[in-house]
Amino acid sequence: MAGPLLELRDLRTQFFTPEGVVKAVDGVSLELHPGETLGIVGESGSGKSVTALSVMRLQRPGKIVGGEVRFKGRDLTKLSEVEMREIRGQEIAMIFQDPMTSLNPVFRTGWQVAEPVRLHSGWDKARAMGVAVSMLNKVGIPAPEKRARDYPHQFSGGMRQRAMIAMGLTTTPKVLIADEPTTALDVTIQAQILDLLRHVNREFGTATILITHNLGVVAGMCERVMVMYAGRIVESGPTVDVFAHPKHPYTWSLLRSIPRLDEDRHEPLKPIEGLPPDLINLPSGCAFHPRCQFKVERCSRDVPALTPVGDTQLAACWVTQSGVELKGA
Amino acid sequence: MITPLPIDAPATPSPVAPGRPARSYWQQATARLRRNRIGVASGLVLLFFVLVAVLSPLLAAIFTHTDPRSIDLLNTFLPPLSPHHILGTDDLGRDELTRMFYGAQVSMGIGFLAVGVALTIGAGVGLVAGYYGGLIDGLLMRFVDIILAVPAIFLFILMSILFKPNTITLALIIASVGWGSIARLVRGEVLSVRTRDFMMATSSLGASDFRLIFRHLLPNVLHVLIVFGSLYLGQVVLIEAALDFLGLGISPATPSWGNMLTNSETFFFHSSWLVIWPGVTIFVTVLAANLFGNAIRDAFDPRLR
Repeated sequence: MAGPLLELRDLRTQFFTPEGVVKAVDGVSLELHPGETLGIVGESGSGKSVTALSVMRLQRPGKIVGGEVRFKGRDLTKLSEVEMREIRGQEIAMIFQDPMTSLNPVFRTGWQVAEPVRLHSGWDKARAMGVAVSMLNKVGIPAPEKRARDYPHQFSGGMRQRAMIAMGLTTTPKVLIADEPTTALDVTIQAQILDLLRHVNREFGTATILITHNLGVVAGMCERVMVMYAGRIVESGPTVDVFAHPKHPYTWSLLRSIPRLDEDRHEPLKPIEGLPPDLINLPSGCAFHPRCQFKVERCSRDVPALTPVGDTQLAACWVTQSGVELKGA
Repeated sequence: MITPLPIDAPATPSPVAPGRPARSYWQQATARLRRNRIGVASGLVLLFFVLVAVLSPLLAAIFTHTDPRSIDLLNTFLPPLSPHHILGTDDLGRDELTRMFYGAQVSMGIGFLAVGVALTIGAGVGLVAGYYGGLIDGLLMRFVDIILAVPAIFLFILMSILFKPNTITLALIIASVGWGSIARLVRGEVLSVRTRDFMMATSSLGASDFRLIFRHLLPNVLHVLIVFGSLYLGQVVLIEAALDFLGLGISPATPSWGNMLTNSETFFFHSSWLVIWPGVTIFVTVLAANLFGNAIRDAFDPRLR
């Protein structure tokens, strides 16, 4: 396989607030290969969205203070704003969480779906609109010529998200970043949208980064998954392996805190004790150690690096790196 | 289970249930405005004065056959309904109706020009300040604070002395003070619109700041401008009349409703019509502008429905 399409190396994004420096993304490295679907999971505030926004350089008011975002051999963090605008929407597109507010209420939906085409190709309105209509058709919006003339408030939530996906794909980008694309939708619509994303991935060969806190979505969609905690990647590997044999206590705890259909239903769910850490005053050593039931003395002292644990996975944990199996009461 | 999406469905239009036609926010707002009788009436009154202003030479030629400056010392202080002088004449025998026609030119001209200039500057400053925030916002808004902290009448008097007032300079003088409040209003609105997801979504498409501000943000704050503009029109007419009345406005040779009032104040007890015509006209214009502004606000603000 050729080299990665998108590669993050030790990316650090920080927010400078009056209370102190928030290390929202604290040394994230990842690779995205052509056509693949990568999942990033983590709870609220773990830095998943800021990582995605940093790739697009839309992390304002945060600052990228270190690291590289390599795309097609160029470091996106070094590009000028004008060069970056060429990347945005044309090479890398993004889908946002809330389709109810992601469309501008004053413009007709078709006009907005056509906007990236007009921004990047210089085509006239009619030609761009033709692309928009055929794309609306592809994402499963009935009577696209008619619906293109409708305003966003005339669309349902699921249809707006379809329109957002259509908007992202009109320029056939290489990378699609979907930031919690199904969170604001109800369950049946979620399934439809995920199905659509799978189709899109297959038909256009677009590499997708799927950001979610929903482990079920990752299981169904992604070949590889990364788990983020407090701005760092704590575990990564093929989805099957990570879900079957988590090598980081956080992943392990996450998986035990959600209900499973294939296990004894009488066992109560086990929530993760404690709260996510304060990103201004991170705990010493491993950020997860105050909530970790496997912690050893070293965990509060040294920060573990992401190193191979087992055949296919990487984990940043002193306990599993020393060969201990995660088994819980 | 999940049925596969018709992703490869042919692009033939599928039958759609006939429903209400797509109506935009603007179409809905104008429909609401049309249902407001007071709003429509006051809008028509304003339109009437605008037409009078535009057509004043024509109206003078048809109805009064005279020039607003032609003096007739044999026919001074003619009462209303005199032959050839429907609204009477003033202390120099000039025809009141003709002067009222031409006065509309000054009032409406200054009114619309000042509103236009104030809205343009105010919207530009408010959009930029609200969009960029931080230092730019701080500097622009402190400048607005300074302008709004100085008594407006003092600024008007100062500038009227510095610049010889004619229709255009007077409009600019009034607008140079008025844009501050608009900038503040627009900035406040921008702050709330800016955080909406579609702004982020649009920048992720590769849109420039300029496009984001003027193509995406501006239409979302346009209702603020329209409402404020129509209310401000009444204020401008009033300010212009007040400046004329104080002798700081348009030169007395040019007829305006304001200086017609000034010229006639001394004759109030023996020729009250000379005060009544311009006074009532200013009153009606300002009232119409305010009522129209209220009607527009009611029509455009979804929260007031």
